[in-house]
Amino acid sequence: MSVDEAESADNETDAAATAGTDHAIDDDAILRIRDLDAGYGDLQILTDVVLDVADEEYVTIVGPNGAGKSTVMKTVFGLTTHMGGTVEFEGRSIQGLAPEQIIREGIGFVPQNDNVFPGLSVRENLEMGAYILDEVPEDQIETIYDRFPILRERSDQKAGTLSGGQRQMVAMGRALMLDPDLLLLDEPSAGLAPDLVSDMFDRIDRINENGTAVLMVEQNAKEALRRCDRGYVLVNGENRYTDRGEVLLSDEDVRRDFLGG
Amino acid sequence: MGTTDSSIVDSARARPGLLFVALLGGLLLVDLAAKLAGVGLGPIGGSLSVDRLGSNLWSGIVIGLVIGLAGIGLSMTYSILSFANFAHGDLVSVGAFSGWGVAFLIAGFGDIPARALLTVRDAGNAAPGDIGAHILTTPGGILVGLLAAFVVTALLAVALDRAFYKPMRDRDGISLLIASIGAALIVRYLLQFVYGSDRRGITASVEASNIAFAPLGLSVNAHELTILVAALGLMLAMHGMLQHTKLGTAMRAMADNKDLALITGIPAERVVTATWIIGGGLAGASGYLYVLLRGTIQFDFGWLLLLLIFAAVILGGIGSVYGAIAGGLVIGVVFTTSTIWIPSDFNQAAAFGVMILMLLLRPEGLFGGVTTT
Repeated sequence: MSVDEAESADNETDAAATAGTDHAIDDDAILRIRDLDAGYGDLQILTDVVLDVADEEYVTIVGPNGAGKSTVMKTVFGLTTHMGGTVEFEGRSIQGLAPEQIIREGIGFVPQNDNVFPGLSVRENLEMGAYILDEVPEDQIETIYDRFPILRERSDQKAGTLSGGQRQMVAMGRALMLDPDLLLLDEPSAGLAPDLVSDMFDRIDRINENGTAVLMVEQNAKEALRRCDRGYVLVNGENRYTDRGEVLLSDEDVRRDFLGG
Repeated sequence: MGTTDSSIVDSARARPGLLFVALLGGLLLVDLAAKLAGVGLGPIGGSLSVDRLGSNLWSGIVIGLVIGLAGIGLSMTYSILSFANFAHGDLVSVGAFSGWGVAFLIAGFGDIPARALLTVRDAGNAAPGDIGAHILTTPGGILVGLLAAFVVTALLAVALDRAFYKPMRDRDGISLLIASIGAALIVRYLLQFVYGSDRRGITASVEASNIAFAPLGLSVNAHELTILVAALGLMLAMHGMLQHTKLGTAMRAMADNKDLALITGIPAERVVTATWIIGGGLAGASGYLYVLLRGTIQFDFGWLLLLLIFAAVILGGIGSVYGAIAGGLVIGVVFTTSTIWIPSDFNQAAAFGVMILMLLLRPEGLFGGVTTT
């Protein structure tokens, strides 16, 4: 971003009338991120990021490319270099925990690309999602098959042979195997055929209605804001606006700068 | 029909190399048929007995199984740790020496000093080779030796990982490859130090009790049968472990996508340790069986065998366990049947020639592109 663009972006912050900038929520946040600085190696991406997800809440992060949206998720999962600030989950710091331990705490993560094991069958993909348990939780596999019936049909098929939409279901099913309290979704609609996108969002709605809090990063910002409880607008690795989805959608500045009018 | 013909012509045009190989293969087959029929047609043909072809194929399969068994570990460590382990051949040697030491200790205990038995050396006027160990007289010792070869080599593989590879886990494949050459040298010359550098006889001949399969003109000896049974048994066990256990599934998952395995909660280090135990153990077992086949042992035979093992693994598609087995069989059969056409001094060259052709025509290998681990 050039200096001029940065300045004009600053001016727009001041001009923001309706969209809120109160990034923290008052109480009962299960995920509580405060003043987070993080990046990769020496490269800092996130600066002073504040983000909360309440129990059973549906939160999306939107913003331009390179805003650090995915970095927030990866940082929650301990996959980036932590440079400052805190990340708490259900009242405990999860900073510095291995991904294996973070899963135990009750967080599931569906990354954007390559999110299934192509050489494993659908069922084996799901089983791997419950690796940390001693026994394969058959009832949970049944629950996931009930939610995504096509996966029951394809149970023995290699995940690499599935369509994009079906793979996304496998990836979500894998992350739901331990019935997490919070599900992190990185661009769930990426690479899906347009007619499958709203179907995918419906599925996410249902996962959330079943009591799983969702934190989602989406390119398809309008659709994501329409469906979520609250949205965060991230720019250049910093918080810009935070408000209920419909408020962000109706805010003129947000519409113009981040939603393409 | 017309379309089929033109599509064959098209694909031949697109891949002249394939056409060349097909023609060469066809010519060799015609030549082979002429040889078997005893017809001489100018440069091709000649005479070859069905018996000789049969015994070439059979010994090719046996040596191919041993090479394939050794290749499994090399392929596994490649797919899960992303580096070519040049110490793998010396793990093969370690398995042979440690396994035969234990086999001799059991077979010759009391007659020859235990130290000489364990180090597979001569002591005074008694040589371990004089025990006349073979599968028919000392089956127990030979089976326990196989087990010992597996266990000792697996332990060494884990120790090498802890000492050299684990601290370098995040480094690139080239750094690890060079580290493995260092590990290979250390292991090889420790073997020379402990066991000596002379080539010596190990097993007694079992030719006297060959089993003849008259219709095929095959004469199969007991050691070859032992190798067949042991190698197939280990391969089947490996297949069952990979496909039907949680650990095996986790290994395939890690070979597929390490980053995803990490965020799925698969404990990477435990899977890596298991990979070294199984891959190293199979390398040790294959070294032990190779000595059973050849009858002699020398401290650097595994290193010399490593080139053929690499050829098998690359031929099969590096990273695939099943590819390693298939590649081993192809290399083994080419190795032995090529002597029909060329002097046996060049049979290694034939094996590598086939590998190079494969790389040119199907760079991903026989099983490459199919993710089978």
